[in-house]
Amino acid sequence: MANAMTIRPRRPMGFWIAKGAQYGILILFAVFVLMPFMWVVFTALKSNLEIAQEPLGLPPNWRFENLAQAWNQGKFSRYFVNSVIVTVPIVMLVVSLSCLAGYALARLRMPGRMLIFYFFLVGLMVPFTAIMIPLFYILRDIGVLGTYWAMILPQTAISLPFGIFFMRAFFSGLPYDLTDAAKIDGCNDFGVFRRVMLPLAGPAIAALIVFNFMGSWNAFLLPLIYLQSDKLRPVMTGMMFFTTRWGPDYSMSMAGTLIVMAPIMAVYLVFQRQFIQGLTAGAVRG
Amino acid sequence: MFESIRQFFADRKLRDYATAYAFVIPALAMYVIFVVYPFFYTIYLSLTKWDGAKPVKEFVGLLNYQQLVADSRLWSALSHNFIWIVLGTVAPVAIGLFLGVLLWRGVRGMVFFRTVYFLPVVLAPVAVGIIWKWMYNPQFGPINSTLRAVGLDVLAKGWLGDPYLALPAIILAGVWGYFGFCFVVIMAGLQNIDMEQIDAALVDGANGAQRLWYVIIPGLRHVLTMITTFTLILGVNVFDIIWITTRGGPGRATHVIATYTYNTAFRESYVGYGSALAIVMGLVSLVVSFIFISIRERGGD
Repeated sequence: MANAMTIRPRRPMGFWIAKGAQYGILILFAVFVLMPFMWVVFTALKSNLEIAQEPLGLPPNWRFENLAQAWNQGKFSRYFVNSVIVTVPIVMLVVSLSCLAGYALARLRMPGRMLIFYFFLVGLMVPFTAIMIPLFYILRDIGVLGTYWAMILPQTAISLPFGIFFMRAFFSGLPYDLTDAAKIDGCNDFGVFRRVMLPLAGPAIAALIVFNFMGSWNAFLLPLIYLQSDKLRPVMTGMMFFTTRWGPDYSMSMAGTLIVMAPIMAVYLVFQRQFIQGLTAGAVRG
Repeated sequence: MFESIRQFFADRKLRDYATAYAFVIPALAMYVIFVVYPFFYTIYLSLTKWDGAKPVKEFVGLLNYQQLVADSRLWSALSHNFIWIVLGTVAPVAIGLFLGVLLWRGVRGMVFFRTVYFLPVVLAPVAVGIIWKWMYNPQFGPINSTLRAVGLDVLAKGWLGDPYLALPAIILAGVWGYFGFCFVVIMAGLQNIDMEQIDAALVDGANGAQRLWYVIIPGLRHVLTMITTFTLILGVNVFDIIWITTRGGPGRATHVIATYTYNTAFRESYVGYGSALAIVMGLVSLVVSFIFISIRERGGD
């Protein structure tokens, strides 16, 4: 140890003060982020009496049975299944339709190509609120209100402008030699797309999947309006109804919140890089 | 007839066009049916008086818009959006920039800090709202409990029940949920800054603040515009976190345009008037996006 110290060049005092301040600030913000999570966990694992007596500290008895109770009483298994049932088709539809349209708008020749592209771009500026009211009556009139389609169809449609914008930008950046070579080898346009372009688009598609998965998994206003039946409710609106119903039962509400948060956080901690890339995809590339 | 179709496909150029359109049409159809058509339908509904149930939508022309202008609830909601936009943009961008510069040259534990700061970003706004509703709980919430534990009982209050504190309190929750996003994007932008410029500034004797102002911020111009656009759009559209924490209350102290529109159209069933509010909201985001696109085009090199 002593040797290592002497080999290193001596740093002036100011350096260590600056270093300490730097770490102090970084840690302060980390604490600011982590404290609320910590209290969710603590509160979820206490009884209500323990919350009243000791609201801040560690749970005196770690009551993991609270989670099981919240899971059963909150019908969370149904909410999770519902979320999966709506999210999977939304992500598949958005990604496949965006790849097709984005590719054509980037690489294929057709009259009115830029016009169609700008037509989609306008959709980036239309907030969901501006279309949510008539959509309710449209979905009712075509008979999908009361089914999962009442979320799948509109959520897919409002996600398309960004998806197309994103995939078009990606496909525009690929070199032309590739397509020319494949065409000489006798590929048609769809063959070029499927065999040459799509395999190259892996990272972009992964980012788009994460982005849309999070978008529809976390969506709140849309299912609040179109999936009102408790049988169809996804996790986010389900959690709201659960915490409202159990309002003053703090331990149950926090147990429910923890159940909803934990899986997404676990997935994030494993696939961190993909999450960060996917969620910042729109901003970093711009 | 068949002959003309065969001719059509025999023409290579036309066949290519047909393929290209076939790629676009599924997306276009979804987009037209579920985005474009409803948008025009909203405009139509905004010219009517309708409760959502009656078979007849009574056409009233611009009456709803005349009411809007005099509607103090709309103006107060818009002012809350404005406050949200200003605080909700400045705070996370400033924090993100600050932390980004601190971590720029790499410190031990870099990955840890990034992971932690980005953690709330993966949460749904609904979850952020529920977590902070508990934080602000007047009785046993951690904030009041901490204040009481350190003897500052006077400062303990019903944060979300106070008309002056509720909006800033929710914005703080929003900043908690969002600054990590700004941080990560700014970090990505910092990687592209030319180190030689920083060294040159150092040689010229620029101090930290000068380096930040004259070298780092101009270098991040594109990134900062991008983030600001994002936060602006979020500020115009904010709904989830407010609906979860206060539903616009106490009184109307935290209503924003989206909660007001939702409440009017779906809970009070003034569909016509709600649609007029929705159009106002559409116009606001259009103007905001437009301003930012033009700033970006002008600033771009």
